[in-house]
Amino acid sequence: MAAVPDSVEIERACKTYASGLEALRDVTFRVAPGEFVSLLGPSGCGKSTLLMMIAGLVPVSSGGIRIDATVVTTPRADVGMVFQSAVLLPWRTVLDNVLLPVELLRLRRRDHEGRARDLLAMAGVEDFAARLPHELSGGMKQRVAICRALIMQPRLLLMDEPFSALDALTRERMSLELLGLWERLRPTVVFVTHAIREAVFLSDRVLVMSARPGTIGFEVDVKLPRPRQLSIQESEAFNRHAGALRRAIEAEEVA
Amino acid sequence: MSASRLAWPLGVTAVMLMAWEMAVAALRVKTVVLPRPSAVAAVVLERWPLLLEHLWPTFYQILLGFVLSVAGGLVMAVLVVYSEPIRKGVLPLIVTSQIVPKVAIAPLLVVWFGTGDLSRLLLAFLIAFFPIVINTVVGLTSVDDDYIKMARAFMGTRWQIFAKIRLPHALPLIFGGMKISITLAVIGIVVAEFVAAQRGIGYLIVMANGLLDTPLMMAAIAVLSAMGLALYGLIVALERVVVYWHAPAETTAGGTP
Repeated sequence: MAAVPDSVEIERACKTYASGLEALRDVTFRVAPGEFVSLLGPSGCGKSTLLMMIAGLVPVSSGGIRIDATVVTTPRADVGMVFQSAVLLPWRTVLDNVLLPVELLRLRRRDHEGRARDLLAMAGVEDFAARLPHELSGGMKQRVAICRALIMQPRLLLMDEPFSALDALTRERMSLELLGLWERLRPTVVFVTHAIREAVFLSDRVLVMSARPGTIGFEVDVKLPRPRQLSIQESEAFNRHAGALRRAIEAEEVA
Repeated sequence: MSASRLAWPLGVTAVMLMAWEMAVAALRVKTVVLPRPSAVAAVVLERWPLLLEHLWPTFYQILLGFVLSVAGGLVMAVLVVYSEPIRKGVLPLIVTSQIVPKVAIAPLLVVWFGTGDLSRLLLAFLIAFFPIVINTVVGLTSVDDDYIKMARAFMGTRWQIFAKIRLPHALPLIFGGMKISITLAVIGIVVAEFVAAQRGIGYLIVMANGLLDTPLMMAAIAVLSAMGLALYGLIVALERVVVYWHAPAETTAGGTP
């Protein structure tokens, strides 16, 4: 047995809804501490459901999910989450949105305000701390949502297609910034996406999910050096990985 | 509201009043049928003490009836949202009861609760409470599911989700309900004063009618309308302060007076 338990262990996790719809079947994988893993798949393959199960928001039907060797039954304070839309509360300033998890845990605000400002600075939105969300662009809102997810210094960061609502250029920049944050703070990341190149660019490992029922069919170790720059996408190695993933997804679709 | 936005409606009002003034003079309409606006204005000035004496009880009862409606409506809405028996059993009754024209109950309320303040407040409450209930229920339950998921992921309790997410989210709609409710409270109190009262603007209107004093009647209506407008403006002003993040919501529910 390893000295450090895996950050996330999923063993034969299944999800069948009351309607009889089988969303996930026998999903098994592990994520090492500090690892960046992407779940890649077409929409409707159950990858978001799987993420909600890791977050403790949706119960498993059978099988097990453990975070740091503890079975997940409810949400945990040491897990951060970023959603597809920023879901910032429109009546709270940017700073107050970032501090929402502190408030929900009934902790003292001033113990965390300094770190909230540091995170906003790292994300490049410190000048907007006192603004309301509607004054921010989509990319800035999502940066704030990432700061909110990081405020409790989570060991595990769950991201559910966080950049899918952004335009292509903003999306690339956000990926690069996310890697910058990740390299500084080194949380474990499980990142759900349907964009092949985004998954390759960000991840140590990409797991391909197939649909109905969702299960993991293929896995790619992304052996690209870090820190990565956007230009790495032009390299032959990058495109080889992306090609392998594309063929895997196409094979799943035919099957 | 900016001066330019006010300029147009005020201009149109001025033109209409002038047309009225000239038409009454030109057509020699009898004062008992339709007094000139200037005559009504003169009555407002000359008989201001009398109008004020009757305006005051009407004013505080409208305000009290409105406050009761808001408080009762909010409590009922929370019960509807959080209690299944009340949602399934009581809400349909409240909605169906809106078929009854509550103004028609006014004489009955007087029989049951006497000619005092209580029956008037009750009528105002019955009329004005419904838009608060419906708008608040819609506001509390129309929160996007992603917000609830987000709050749960960050360990929010049911109470925190209510206080920090559902309630602030509902505020624009609650204010929408309040704007309908305040005008309905005016109707409730004045109609109740028609039925049985010894003072109040509604009483003054009926009395002036009996004396065929149309200018006084219209002066009373003008003063009553001005007060209604002021109360409405007060709520709009409050809304601007409380709902600072959002343009005023369109109202989603009405009520039958």
